Amino acid sequence: MNKILTFLFCLIIFCLPAYCLEYDYSSTESIPVKLSITEEISTKMPILEGQILKFKVLKDVQNDRLNLKKGDIVTGRIECIITSGMNGFPAEIIIDNFKIPYVKKSQLIGTYIKKGQNRFIWVYPLKFALTPFPPTGSITNIIKGGHAKIKTTDIITVYYYPDWK
Amino acid sequence: MKKLFVLLSIVLFADYSYADITAENRVQSRIDSVGVNILNKNRIQKRIVFTYNKEAKKKLLSTDKTLLKRQIVVYDGLYQSVQTDDELAAMLSREISFAVKSYSGAWGGRLDSLEVIAGSKKFETTADKRAVDYMVNAGYNPLALIVYINKTCPQKRSDFISRHNLTSKRLAAIYEYLTYKYPQYLENNEYISNKYYQNFLLNSIENRKKLEEKIRTKSAKAIRYE
Repeated sequence: MNKILTFLFCLIIFCLPAYCLEYDYSSTESIPVKLSITEEISTKMPILEGQILKFKVLKDVQNDRLNLKKGDIVTGRIECIITSGMNGFPAEIIIDNFKIPYVKKSQLIGTYIKKGQNRFIWVYPLKFALTPFPPTGSITNIIKGGHAKIKTTDIITVYYYPDWK
Repeated sequence: MKKLFVLLSIVLFADYSYADITAENRVQSRIDSVGVNILNKNRIQKRIVFTYNKEAKKKLLSTDKTLLKRQIVVYDGLYQSVQTDDELAAMLSREISFAVKSYSGAWGGRLDSLEVIAGSKKFETTADKRAVDYMVNAGYNPLALIVYINKTCPQKRSDFISRHNLTSKRLAAIYEYLTYKYPQYLENNEYISNKYYQNFLLNSIENRKKLEEKIRTKSAKAIRYE
């Protein structure tokens, strides 16, 4: 009997790591939360990576899992800023790490990416077309991509998965 | 006697091949484990696979498979420099950020992939920064990225006409990113007794002075690192 118990104990110990994942994405049930930024931001402004931004809830989300009212404030963080570059490369702002009261970070999905105007699409063909006539091809280097701007009218949707760990 | 010799040769050869396969399998399992851990903990909803390639060498356009097939190929030459799981996570996180980028944007991600290829310098810095985020979210120490790059990437004379940034510039940019966004890793620095990290500190004194000046003056201007 003791041997069986020891064997079972060992089996559980060896199998334990396989069942001890910190996440479980089995559930597909999600609740969308629509947000908009409280103050417009742009890559023209002196914004920083890691900066916390405020967002307001656009629609009531009321059920047994989540209770958010229109106008409630939640926060998000600027994860990465890509500045606009030569040859029409647009600027980009990546926002993530949204924090909603009583909701774990691991239960939210909603990376928001906003890009500026992409001029790369026409600048590069132009550059190649002008290359046989030097130095006109290099002139396209001075064309920069558009700045990324998040307006207060932009709608950001974050998904809350209540059954995730 | 001959039969015995042949039999012994077969057994030895089979054993050697088996050991080789087992070793490769172990490396592949380690890469898969760390890679999938990063994907899962960052909740990246995109399919990305990891392949250990012992034979092939890294080609000039090495991001091809990452951008086209979303297949991250780990070459043996690069893997040799990996010592800890943190360093492996650093290597994979960079490639994951390229693969994720290839999923976004117009034409099924083709336009963004073209941007990455054409503007490789710009996206190299972005990939480094995203790699830091992925590592932190997955529970790895992001300072390993500094250690890994410091060990593996050579230092060119200039990056004026190169497709890549100077390694010292990349390292300084990562250090700055960590200073502002994840200062806790520098305050409770687990890598302070790591000789490779100390080597980075030694060769980045000038760049770190520039950063200290930026912090002191509370400037928001981008630093021109060397």
